[in-house]
Amino acid sequence: SGERNLSSQPNTRSLHHQNPKPLQNSYIHPFQSQNQTKMSTTDPIEESFTPYTQSQTLTGHRRAISSLKFSSNGRLLASCSADKTLRTYFLSSSGSSPSLTPLQEFVGHDQGVSDLAFSSDSRFLVSASDDKTLRIWDIPTGSPVKTLHGHTNYVFCANFNPQSNMIVSGSFDETVRIWDVKTGKCLKVLPAHSDPVTAVDFNRDGSLIVSSSYDGLCRIWDSGTGHCMKTLIDDENPPVSFVKFAPNGKFILVGTLDNTLRLWNISTGKFIKTYTGHVNSKYCISATFSITNGKYIVSGSEDNCVYLWELQSRKLVQKLEGHSDNVISVACHPTENMIASGALGNDKSVRIWTQQNMKSD
Amino acid sequence: MNAPIIDPLQGDFPEVIEEYLEHGVMKCIAFNRRGTLLAAGCSDGCCIIWDFETRGIAKELRDKDCGAAITSICWSKYGHRILVSAADKSLMLWDVLSGEKITRVTLQQTPLQARLNPGSTAPSLCLACPLSSAPMIVDLNTGSTTMLPVFFPDMGNGVAPSSRNKFSDGNTSFTPTAACFNKYGDLVYVGNSKGEILLIDHKRIQVCAMVPISGGAVIKNMVFSRNGQYLLTNSNDRTIRIYENLLPLKDGVKALDDLNKNIDEVDGVEKIKAVGSKCLALFREFQDSITKMHWKAPCFSGDGEWVIGGSASKGEHKIYIWDRAGHLVKILEGPKEALIDLAWHPVHPIVVSVSLTGLVYIWAKDYTENWSAFAPDFKELEENEEYVEREDEFDLMPETEKVKESDINEDEEVDIVTVEKDTFSDSDMSQEELCFLPAIPCPDVREQQDKCVGSSSKLIDSNHSESPLSEEAGLNGKATNNAASPLEEDTGGTRLKRKRKPSEKGLELQAEKRLEEYKGTGE
Repeated sequence: SGERNLSSQPNTRSLHHQNPKPLQNSYIHPFQSQNQTKMSTTDPIEESFTPYTQSQTLTGHRRAISSLKFSSNGRLLASCSADKTLRTYFLSSSGSSPSLTPLQEFVGHDQGVSDLAFSSDSRFLVSASDDKTLRIWDIPTGSPVKTLHGHTNYVFCANFNPQSNMIVSGSFDETVRIWDVKTGKCLKVLPAHSDPVTAVDFNRDGSLIVSSSYDGLCRIWDSGTGHCMKTLIDDENPPVSFVKFAPNGKFILVGTLDNTLRLWNISTGKFIKTYTGHVNSKYCISATFSITNGKYIVSGSEDNCVYLWELQSRKLVQKLEGHSDNVISVACHPTENMIASGALGNDKSVRIWTQQNMKSD
Repeated sequence: MNAPIIDPLQGDFPEVIEEYLEHGVMKCIAFNRRGTLLAAGCSDGCCIIWDFETRGIAKELRDKDCGAAITSICWSKYGHRILVSAADKSLMLWDVLSGEKITRVTLQQTPLQARLNPGSTAPSLCLACPLSSAPMIVDLNTGSTTMLPVFFPDMGNGVAPSSRNKFSDGNTSFTPTAACFNKYGDLVYVGNSKGEILLIDHKRIQVCAMVPISGGAVIKNMVFSRNGQYLLTNSNDRTIRIYENLLPLKDGVKALDDLNKNIDEVDGVEKIKAVGSKCLALFREFQDSITKMHWKAPCFSGDGEWVIGGSASKGEHKIYIWDRAGHLVKILEGPKEALIDLAWHPVHPIVVSVSLTGLVYIWAKDYTENWSAFAPDFKELEENEEYVEREDEFDLMPETEKVKESDINEDEEVDIVTVEKDTFSDSDMSQEELCFLPAIPCPDVREQQDKCVGSSSKLIDSNHSESPLSEEAGLNGKATNNAASPLEEDTGGTRLKRKRKPSEKGLELQAEKRLEEYKGTGE
């Protein structure tokens, strides 16, 4: 199957994994060799930083987790898995610590699911599956509403636009598609990349789409016309496993399979921050921004931990340990200081991390 | 938002038909403030609200009691309400989000145009221009109507005479008097049959100023640019005129009162003309001196930089585009159907025209693929250039191949949260704007596992237009992967960091040169 578990794929990706390097000699970008301090967990943690601790473990999925998202109203968490299902969890704010209770299971896809996204009004979910379709689900009833046909290979990633009248999807068929939510019609097919598309995202006003691919490129598209606006490329172009817009849409967070995360300025086309220390050379691990209590970058890692870096200083402030397999996806709650992480097949769990000291008893 | 990325050198006006919308017989159109929704009034009394981004229908406003053709359609400033005028003499106010009717007012005559007061977020006043009487202010809450003066001086009692217009051949016919609000809705500009523009304070029902148009031809349309700084008039003498608005945008009435006090003239026609000369200044005139065309539905582009007018001749669908300085930049020609309405998108270089057949055509730029966007190294050349290699280009260890010193300061503070102030928002915006209608996915029918069929928007493939390349290729199911080639072949790379792999041809040329040198004929 071709979900996030890359290494189980027949090794057509060998072009990029030709010289697997041990971590010490890993693909460190020449530019950052000066800035790159030898990151280790023995680095002193920032004084003002309250560590996250594990507050809950959610089990239920029968195979590897592939993606996690919080709804924008903060009341729901959703996860999807290689077990072909999606699950939603309800966040109850009563009591001293918020906790999640499983809500619904969404069954219908014929193959494993690689990605999912909430609509802005938290009413619908879209899922991207190896069965080459996307599905739109009604959350209150748990029932499928629409199936979007068109991709000719595994659908790997998907997102709603802020207006939630359009869905963008990326696939192993190397295209990005834009869909009309109301009719399910495919509005545009973008000849986006020359390798599988690993991530797609809309900016905050829905005018731009960013896509990333194993071909080493990130491309910015005008969502209205479908025209390519910009391609972000550097000297070395390792496969890009993840991309996401910053909250204000001016920057993109880019994860590459050389164990590196970078923050790029879209207008200048140059990267301005680099985050390393984690392990990411095989899977399409997601990363995100944490802005509820200071500004951080949060990412999963192939050493079974969740990594937190301070946005500005790029210092690694915490490694969350607990999972027993690669952490493939992370999500931050929109208002609470809460991180959700999901791991691959040996673990299959969703873990919730919170900053306990911040909560009033 | 896209300002730093979009190429500013592309001319900002449309060139070809990109798509058309079809649903019933549409008669008139209006964009909401941001152009995310397009409202269309139909011949069966129904209003369709199109989601302009997906080109699908977002909502239908239909009232079982009202089946008469819609004559005009207008959004409230922030998109919460829509006002329509219909052929059964009625005005109907709708709430957009709920799709519910708010109120209905019946007038004495069919209003050909109705405009909500743009100065208010939940306007109760509107301006209606009936078929053959003076324009009036209608209070939608009470239903009361107040007629506005059409001539100065008034014929008495604030009741204006019928707008009777004489044509040069002596025929008398009734034509609607043109009228429009200014940007903040405190003044109404009326264009009468004597070719005079009257500035009227609609609260006091008083003519504050007058601007006569030379030639005195009947004024057919009047419209302000979005920023309120330019006024367009369309007259029977086949000329479109642009006036610069000299009054301040807000408190126009006060400014007029001040002018009235300060101008040393006896009260009367001469005085208000003197005041008028301080309100509007003729900027440009547009006409087609060859065909002497009558114009239909002229208006400004969203940024006021362009003016468009449709040909009023039946049997042709022509749209003229001028820049504000008066140069004709383009004539758009569509299928041979008369044009009945026209609108420029508030933000994008897109024009929408309604044809007599009821179709709505969407005109957009003819896009040529920008290869540099796909590969930043890729330099597009206008014509063949002689490439001169560097001295050390083919050296095994070229001098320039050292690691470049990092000039990126990663310690600089980055702001990932702050968003620039919206260029669209006025400082006095208190209410949230309605930009889009929630999209509820229509449930799939269980049996239909196939692709969704049937849509209300189609691509045109007529002789007059070309479809954008990527869209066409994409919808045919095959995404053309032109993007990949420039990148992989690393062509045209002039950056020192990239190694230029000599092509076969390059090697041939090299060999030839060496041969020539050997022969002693090298230059």
